[in-house]
Amino acid sequence: MVEPLETPPSRTAPDATTQEEDRILRRWTPILLRTILIVATIVLIFGLVVMARQAPGAYLARFHAVQAGRVYAQDPWQKMLDQAEHGDPHAIVIFGLMVLTLVPLARVAFCFLLFLRERDWTYVAFTAYVLCGLIVGVLLGRVG
Amino acid sequence: MLTVLGGLLGLAFGAGFIGALSGLGGGVFIVPALVIVARVPMYDAVGASLISVVATSAGASVAFVRDGWTNLRVAMVLECATVTGAVAGAFMAGHIAPWILEALFALVMLQSAYFTIQRQDTEMLPHPDPLCARLKLEGELPGDDGRLMHYGARNLPGGAVLMVVAGITSGLLGIGSGALKVIAMDYIMHLPLKVSSATSNFMIGVTAGAGALVFLSRGAMAGSIAAPVALGVTAGALLGSRVLPHANVRALRAMFVVILVLIALEMGWRALKGI
Repeated sequence: MVEPLETPPSRTAPDATTQEEDRILRRWTPILLRTILIVATIVLIFGLVVMARQAPGAYLARFHAVQAGRVYAQDPWQKMLDQAEHGDPHAIVIFGLMVLTLVPLARVAFCFLLFLRERDWTYVAFTAYVLCGLIVGVLLGRVG
Repeated sequence: MLTVLGGLLGLAFGAGFIGALSGLGGGVFIVPALVIVARVPMYDAVGASLISVVATSAGASVAFVRDGWTNLRVAMVLECATVTGAVAGAFMAGHIAPWILEALFALVMLQSAYFTIQRQDTEMLPHPDPLCARLKLEGELPGDDGRLMHYGARNLPGGAVLMVVAGITSGLLGIGSGALKVIAMDYIMHLPLKVSSATSNFMIGVTAGAGALVFLSRGAMAGSIAAPVALGVTAGALLGSRVLPHANVRALRAMFVVILVLIALEMGWRALKGI
């Protein structure tokens, strides 16, 4: 249940730019999220089906290797993409997971570009910081 | 292969379903399910769970954004704090002994159980403080009579500090840390509960995505586990969100508290054995 305070909150009417930004964000953010999620889901299902048909033994071997301890495969991303292109099922699955992690990255990048277009510098700074944080995450993972 | 794959999909589906019904997210349930039932090491369970949290958040937040429950500006400001914490947490996860992760997980389970008991449904609409007003962290939500009610936010620095902690917890343990995020927005920043929940759901994707990127770029994401987990949790969460409006929430909450305490005891016991 929502209860207002005794004194109504002070209200500053949102300016036209803010309203336009909100309208664009509410319209396009769900489309962006849903589209990437669907693409990633299709890639992941495709990868698992290919794995089940071509290399079921390899899947089990990987699973048991993970159970036994850590399995690191820090291949260059270009090599992984080439393998996925040539139908390697494990590379397709990893590619699907990479597409999935694009969901937040793409959403923040979209907001960044929108605020840049609207010259809303405060929010350009906030979204740029988040983007930098995500990129630092990638770099930290490569370091160790 | 199909037995293992089906088992993982089933576990993940169940975790996503319970996560959606409890409002705590699938990560809280899939990590212990993978560790205890599938005998996957804690570190690999965390990586797989982070990916599933990204997928669940993307799927579940669409309706909240479209219908105006999510406060996008609050999310963008606080994501600075959660991403900082998540990247640090995911980096540390690779260098911390598993028993410490299990002990921390047990503590977070207990905190989630406490949060589930304490959750209030009554909300107040506060005055925005000057900083929040300047950042336009305000919004509107429909009241009981259908009229739009204006709300503001307060105490952004306090909320941001707790968001850093939520980010670290997410990156370390592979969970969305939704309970901590809601506490930061609801109790500290005084945002309405429904807005806090919807905004938390939206932010969880970026927080978990930051952690997942660290795992993926490290080459430490077990695709054979993460793929079925992501698919299963997402499907379970979708079904859970459909069932939720028709469920007896009070009875479910009591059951979830028992489950969370049992998980906490099991993870705590594992941590003690691992010392």
